[in-house]
Amino acid sequence: MTFTLLVPLLLLVATGLVLIGSDRSRHARAKIAAYPIGVAFLAAVTTLFQVATEGPIALQFYDLSSVGTFAIPIGFYIDRLSAVMMTLITGVSVIIYTYSIGYMYQDAHARRYLAMICLTDFVLICMVASSNLMMLFLFWQVLSYLLYVLAHNHAHAGTLTGAFKTFTVLRVADTAFLAGIALAYQLYGTLEFQDLFLRAAEARINLPLGFGMEVSGATAVTVLFFVGAMGKSAQFPIHFWLPGSLFAPTPVHALLHAGIINAGGFLINRLAPLFALSSTTLHVAFVIGTLTAFLGATMMLAQNDIKKTLGFSTIGQMGYMIMECGLGAFSLAVFHLIAHGLFKATVFLNCGNVIHKARHEPHFPHIDHQREEEGLSRMTWVTGCVTSLLIPLFILLLTHGVLRIPLLESQGTVIFLFFIWITSSQAILTLTRLRQVASWKVSAAMLMTLLFIVFVYLFAVESFTAFLYPDPDEVASFFKAADLPDWLFDFIILAATILMIASWSYLYMTAHGRTVRIPRWIDNLRIRLYLPFMNRLYADELHQLLGDSLMRLVHQFDKRERGWSQ
Amino acid sequence: MMDGALLSWLLAGIPLLGALGSLLFWPNADRLKFFSILWSAVSCASIIGFAGYLAMPPEGFLPLYLLPLTAVISLLAQPVHDDYRQSYIMTLVCLGLGLIVLTCPPLMGNLALALLLVLVASLLYRHHSALWPMSWWGIGTYSLGALCALLAVAVDPPVSSVASLVTCAVLLPLVPFHDGHLTALTRLPGNLPAFVVVLLPIAGLHELPHVLPTVPDVVAWTVSFFALLGALYGAVKALAQSRVRLLLAYGSLSFFSMLWWFVAATRTATPRAALMAGTVGLATSGLLIAWQVVRTRYGDDIDPQAVSGLASGMPQYAVLLSLLALAAMGLPPFGVFAGFMGLLLNAPFPSTLGLFITLLAWLAASWYIMQMVQRLLYGTRRQELRYTDVLKTELASLVMAVLVLLALGLAPATLFAPAHTGAETVSAKESSTWNR
Repeated sequence: MTFTLLVPLLLLVATGLVLIGSDRSRHARAKIAAYPIGVAFLAAVTTLFQVATEGPIALQFYDLSSVGTFAIPIGFYIDRLSAVMMTLITGVSVIIYTYSIGYMYQDAHARRYLAMICLTDFVLICMVASSNLMMLFLFWQVLSYLLYVLAHNHAHAGTLTGAFKTFTVLRVADTAFLAGIALAYQLYGTLEFQDLFLRAAEARINLPLGFGMEVSGATAVTVLFFVGAMGKSAQFPIHFWLPGSLFAPTPVHALLHAGIINAGGFLINRLAPLFALSSTTLHVAFVIGTLTAFLGATMMLAQNDIKKTLGFSTIGQMGYMIMECGLGAFSLAVFHLIAHGLFKATVFLNCGNVIHKARHEPHFPHIDHQREEEGLSRMTWVTGCVTSLLIPLFILLLTHGVLRIPLLESQGTVIFLFFIWITSSQAILTLTRLRQVASWKVSAAMLMTLLFIVFVYLFAVESFTAFLYPDPDEVASFFKAADLPDWLFDFIILAATILMIASWSYLYMTAHGRTVRIPRWIDNLRIRLYLPFMNRLYADELHQLLGDSLMRLVHQFDKRERGWSQ
Repeated sequence: MMDGALLSWLLAGIPLLGALGSLLFWPNADRLKFFSILWSAVSCASIIGFAGYLAMPPEGFLPLYLLPLTAVISLLAQPVHDDYRQSYIMTLVCLGLGLIVLTCPPLMGNLALALLLVLVASLLYRHHSALWPMSWWGIGTYSLGALCALLAVAVDPPVSSVASLVTCAVLLPLVPFHDGHLTALTRLPGNLPAFVVVLLPIAGLHELPHVLPTVPDVVAWTVSFFALLGALYGAVKALAQSRVRLLLAYGSLSFFSMLWWFVAATRTATPRAALMAGTVGLATSGLLIAWQVVRTRYGDDIDPQAVSGLASGMPQYAVLLSLLALAAMGLPPFGVFAGFMGLLLNAPFPSTLGLFITLLAWLAASWYIMQMVQRLLYGTRRQELRYTDVLKTELASLVMAVLVLLALGLAPATLFAPAHTGAETVSAKESSTWNR
């Protein structure tokens, strides 16, 4: 219990250390403040161990029966999900903060920035450890504002516009979240997570929508929460705040992409038992997630700026994560956000150096086309084909035939297997770009990649799922709730499979200098689509247009109305 | 034990006596300001000491504590100048009348209310300028409010109920009786706008629990309708404003209208409603004071568009203004958020559409307030402006406003109304009310 409280408190101490004191000692204080953050990480690890061995920790500083009288009931409920998130946040914070001390050394606003980083960590910790929706919402909102402040540069017009956009867009999603809270309280009379799940499961309430239509209470509440999560996790169509905030210092992005943006995924996972009561919401999440993953990845390919590329990569990954939630694979989504967080933090911390180096060396990064091999070697091709097509098929047959897992009846198992295949194929396809390396090395890397991904997924499926959700029936209920109609599920699997095989065929043919006969209209379409995707589907312009139109209407109303503003 | 009625008069008498005594310092504006602050502080201390002996109103004691505190906050930040002497004294007079409204029996309360409205209307008349013809609407609205307050005493129900309701709508601004609020916030001299923005809505809210249960359903529905209209109208008008005081006036109208909607649904004023009214008023008051700081430096008629980059030149001011803005737009952990959430969670929604409009108005506040703050604080630093950070008294005033808002956001609602347990929650059984 002591360790648990230490985590947020030490982050506050670090904030105070950076913020309070004379200007002469600011560098020394900034360095000292790294220690409390480090200790907070150790305390988070200890908390994780304690929660894993002794069960959830609950700390309430208020009377449960009078929660309505307390506007903001402060309390902690730390289960395995919270503990894992706390460890991730503090771990990433240690790295980012330590890096930032050097990176921001000569910046005039370093003190404000470092203090904000510590404060954001504190807010994130309190958010993931919240024992009720109200406290979670409180820190959720504070996080929206901190994001605005962190993405701020007082004198730079582009940054100011981006920061304002970030704040206002996130507020739209926050409003939906608030409506969800109000509705949940009206329907179930509590905001305490555990009680809320129990009451929602017991009380199946339908709400009239008008015209004889009804919607279940759980669906109405979870859809509103989902919109809240969409904002923080930059889901289409409210994703455009993320690229708009890319002017901020590089470490801010490391924190944003490794920690803050996971808030949406965390919210859905925190409320997983509630989401599992509504198949409709899960299906909506699946659609939105898929769309975001597709659009994010496509826009990423068309960007010509390293930060924007990484930004859209994050949007795509967040879409992927939300899609996993929509499929009922909640633990997989958490595993994904941890892996993505660590990966993106590393990449963003490095991208500052790359940009810096590129400014000094115009020819950096080097692209030496002359030394690149013309095509893939036979060995690379065979290995790639075997690892991404034949071995997965073998695994599928083994699972179905030998282990007798009823794949046709269990979408959950198929989803896991399918994710293994997609991820490994994606990684193996990427490896084919290593053409100046000997073929046997590429082939070995492909095999290692496949093994690595299979084992990681097995860990995620077996150990991590069992760790987060010890009750297998609960996991099964998530998949059950997310069940898609069989025809649609089969269609999606089939379409993705065809897409994957087509990609391999295309790669093989182009690598061997063969002409790929693509209908002219597809080729034209590809060229036509390139521009919109490079311009991020004109989302910023649409947002600007919408804002301008709205303000024009407002001013017209203001002029027509006889009032004080005339 | 002191008699309750006598105590009420004593509490109200302290600031009135102070107003009388302050006339002795009329020639010296500096001393007059100090004396006014001192008497407001004494009034605050006396209320803290004796409030427990008074009968508790339905909305709790929070408004009672908040009034003298706001008087101190608004007086502290006001620069010393001969032109402001009248506003120092009027603050004490208004405080005294406000305390009569809150602590004395309804008859005396209504008379004090009428007097208060007449006082504000005459102040507006005195500071009327031909350049602002709209202020006639404000003067007229306050005069109507005063007339209705007197009518409520003189006639029987249901006329008296409707008359009282109109008075409440003038005090706690409700469309179409909101012109007084706009005029007061933009045209009253000195620190008075920053004080009356708390005083008048609180006085209006105090009257509501006596009025709302007696009005017919159709009137209550009409009030709900105008409340929603006002929430949206205030937000839209605030979005269109470039003048800060007008923006704040419309913004606060929007929030007070939200309060009206919740109050009309429950037909009473709970401690949460008082928290909302008090904190919306105080946050607006804080922002008015913050704007006064800018006007003190760059002139009364400064165009907000001509000011930018204050964050780098006036860092203390920037932090305090940002915090006040966060409070005013209803973000946690400040009192406005606490009040709003308290109402949102504990009042049954009369309609889904109403909830949607309320949330829309709440959301709009993020636009217009943040836009104003961003315009003032950020952007390029202007060579023609001299940046001087807040003075000690200004700092004290703004810090007090922020701390009170923070404390009210974190304190339990029952702190100022121990009798209210706040256990009324709408359970799943009563969920049909959601979409009524």
